[in-house]
Amino acid sequence: MPPVGTNSAEPERLPMPAPKTTVEFNDKVVRQFLLASVIWGAVGMLVGVLIAAQLNFWQLNFSTPWLTWSHLRPLHTNAVIFALVGNSMFAGIYYSTQRLVKARLASDFLSQLHFWGWQAIIVSAALTLPFGLTRGQEYGELIWPVNIAVVLIWVVFSVNFFWTLARRREPSLYVAIWFYIATIVTVAMLYIVNHLSIPTSWTHSYSVFGGVQNALVQWWYGHNAVAFFLTTPILGIMYYFLPKAAGRPVYSYRLSVVHFWSLVFVYIWAGPHHLLNTSLPVWLQDLGMTFSLMLWAPSWGGMLNGLLTLRGAWDKLRTDPVLKFFAAAVTFYGMSTFEGPLLAIKSVNALAHYTDWIIAHVHGGTLGWNGFMAAGMTYWLIPRLWNKPLHSVPLANLHFWIGLVGILLYVGAMWTSGITQGLMLNATTEHGTVLTYPNFLDTVNVIRPMMLMRVIGGALYLAGWFLMAYNLWMSVRGAEPVNGTIEVYDEEPAHGDPGRLSVAGWVLNAPVLFSVLGVGFACAWMFGGHIVSVAGLVGTMFCAVVAYTHFEARRKNWGDWYDRLIVSAVPFTVLTFVAVVAGGLIQIIPTVVIHRAANVEDRRQIPYTPLELAGRDLYVREGCYLCHSQMIRTLVPDVLRYGDYSRLGESIYDHPFQWGSKRNGPDLARVGGKYPNVWHLRHLENPRSISSGSNMPNFQWLLTNPLDVGTLPRKIAVQRQLGVPYPLWTDAEISSGVEAQEREIARDLRDAGAYVAPDREVIALIAYLQQLGHFEKVTPSGHAPTLAD
Amino acid sequence: MNPNTPPPPIEDPLRPHVYDGIREFDKRLPNWWLFTFYATIVFWVGYWAYYQWLHVGPGNHQRIERQMAAIEAEKLAATASTKLDNASLWQMSRNPVFVEAGRATFNSICATCHKESLRGSVDGGIGANLRTQEWIHGGNPLDLYNTATNGVLVKGMPAWGPVLGQKRIIEAVAYVLSYHHEGEPMTLRPATAGK
Repeated sequence: MPPVGTNSAEPERLPMPAPKTTVEFNDKVVRQFLLASVIWGAVGMLVGVLIAAQLNFWQLNFSTPWLTWSHLRPLHTNAVIFALVGNSMFAGIYYSTQRLVKARLASDFLSQLHFWGWQAIIVSAALTLPFGLTRGQEYGELIWPVNIAVVLIWVVFSVNFFWTLARRREPSLYVAIWFYIATIVTVAMLYIVNHLSIPTSWTHSYSVFGGVQNALVQWWYGHNAVAFFLTTPILGIMYYFLPKAAGRPVYSYRLSVVHFWSLVFVYIWAGPHHLLNTSLPVWLQDLGMTFSLMLWAPSWGGMLNGLLTLRGAWDKLRTDPVLKFFAAAVTFYGMSTFEGPLLAIKSVNALAHYTDWIIAHVHGGTLGWNGFMAAGMTYWLIPRLWNKPLHSVPLANLHFWIGLVGILLYVGAMWTSGITQGLMLNATTEHGTVLTYPNFLDTVNVIRPMMLMRVIGGALYLAGWFLMAYNLWMSVRGAEPVNGTIEVYDEEPAHGDPGRLSVAGWVLNAPVLFSVLGVGFACAWMFGGHIVSVAGLVGTMFCAVVAYTHFEARRKNWGDWYDRLIVSAVPFTVLTFVAVVAGGLIQIIPTVVIHRAANVEDRRQIPYTPLELAGRDLYVREGCYLCHSQMIRTLVPDVLRYGDYSRLGESIYDHPFQWGSKRNGPDLARVGGKYPNVWHLRHLENPRSISSGSNMPNFQWLLTNPLDVGTLPRKIAVQRQLGVPYPLWTDAEISSGVEAQEREIARDLRDAGAYVAPDREVIALIAYLQQLGHFEKVTPSGHAPTLAD
Repeated sequence: MNPNTPPPPIEDPLRPHVYDGIREFDKRLPNWWLFTFYATIVFWVGYWAYYQWLHVGPGNHQRIERQMAAIEAEKLAATASTKLDNASLWQMSRNPVFVEAGRATFNSICATCHKESLRGSVDGGIGANLRTQEWIHGGNPLDLYNTATNGVLVKGMPAWGPVLGQKRIIEAVAYVLSYHHEGEPMTLRPATAGK
């Protein structure tokens, strides 16, 4: 606030007090989002407990498509991310932003549109995912009409948020708002790019990216969905609610500044750590690994600012459930963000990837950090949003302890299980020449007790959540909703405020220039040729030294500049966007624009026949990719178990890619031709008739459902558009090709004593599976013939 | 904390700005935190230089090719030192150590198609019946060994040699042979027509 001007020429005249008005906050939408997060959270976690139980008892799949594990798993992940954390985040952002900027949300209409639109998206997810309507990419499963709805509602949210900022009465933006801004711009960018698709029908589309490009974009999105949907908004919420609940000042403002900028810049680069030791080009893997390690300290900056803010308030933890939840949540955040870089080290990843260790890591973050932050915030908000104290504090404390024990059981079980299975899968014998446990199921059966422990842990956590729902209901029932208010002076908005930055002011200044130059030189070093590279390295070091010296000498200038930046929402948003966009551009553009021929190594995939393509869409529909990878890593145990390591060209025409991220069952990249057709038939009908002890669900409906061939011409046309070298087939040619291949497989099955009508879905899926791993050799210069030739 | 630093003031200065009642200290960044950050940056430079800039370290493909070649050499050496013939396999089939080890491998791997009874298609399995004296791909111990090692891909019998290794293949063959006798009559049944 500028001090009131004292003019000695007019000593008698007192400053006119500006008229005061009362602003009532829009807390209705906060209440709505809060209730929705508790309800959807219960649903999402209930599905989680069910699918965990299905891994133990295959009978719980009930031989029903929409109750089958692979159909419900996307529902669980999407519900927890977008419904639980999403709704909770919106509640927290709307509550805190209005108070931090001293303004009511800009539009009641947009607020309601945001709320109801988001709930409609969640409902449509619940009505599509279990029925196999999916895009087949993790956390990007929702079908394209829902994608458009998500983008539109996100735009509504952004407009509502930035419009509120534009009308703020508090010029300076608090650190929580920085994190909200980063969330909004980055999620929009990630979501739109990763969901670019061409529809083939109202419910089906193919990603415009295929193979390695799709893998890279997907994990740029998947990793940063964790970063900018599950982390940055929750950090913002932490920065508001934790000091409020503790009644203590935030530990360090400069730590906020440093960890915010380093976090948003570094996070984006780390996506390829989901693809370590795969056929992803190694330079991307090395970027993913090293940037993940550099992410450790920025992440811990958030943890430190959270935990150290509690200094002087630790005694309150004994009695206050809100602080208990917050302190535990921040601790879990610290644990997960240490574990993440650890898992991103290539050699650790060789053991942990595809195993339950990753599941432990994810749930430490979601149950511990997201779930407990949501719970703490809910308990803190209840008495403030409804005119009534919390129904029962002991019940909230009980929730905390049940939830904590639940997380520890869950995470402990998954660590044990992941490391055990990883070690068994990697174990070799006879001087390292053969696998010790060649049967994948041997490694599954050993971890069964841990799978059961996971169900118990998850159920305990869910029980705690139900306690909160009950507590909320008892507190709110009959209570009167109250909306917060604030007294404000009706001042003229200070136009041309000298504190604000001009365009030149926010571009031409030491922090921005040194950052841009430093990153530019570093990129020249990493990607330049010989001389450029050396110049880049020298430039980077020079830049670092000069920046450090300048900072030490002109510390106050840097600080003053930043104080002015945070009163300027637009420049702040633009700079944040520049910081997050850099990593994505540098990784994705080369991979996408480079001609595909350069990305195939020595092999090229043979395009699927129409029947195989139909089978592949069934593979995606049934969610096979959720348990089976199609990526043999450049690791000895993988090669010994599954065959020669996968090359880039072998999935170049796959829209979407199906490399997978978890092996509840074995890899399928080279399963084609390994077993007879009848093996697959029996195995899909009832896996235990072939593999005794398997926990895979039955997919017996594939044997009776007729195959939908009517959509194939459109699908093939879209594949052609995407660059898959299909000839210009007529519809009749497509259907006759399908029928011929169907008859051939059905005849082979009949010879083996199995009778299936040729036009059933299972025939197409078998055709696809038997084709996996087939490729043509490519000589570096030569052009291999396409199907059209 | 460093014992040489004087004790901090009772309450550190706060930043002037207050946001909805929230105030902020402006504490120094903890040294250990800063050095962790710097150390990871230095690691990035070193790692990138080692693998991507100077190309000293091997790439993923070079590494796996080298490792697989070493394994291949190991296997060749082992095969050369083993003298495998019909007589020695019959001998093993009478040795309980081999037969028990073979039973475990058979029940874990082979029984999915050949069934634990070894009767395969007779008991509803996919694989051939291994209890009869009629053989499709030869019933001599070395024939069985070769079939198990190299597979009969067109008939859906995978090549198990690379997966199980020679030792376990020999044990499994010994186990199958334990249901047969040296010198028993043996007929060769041709594969089903059309296959």
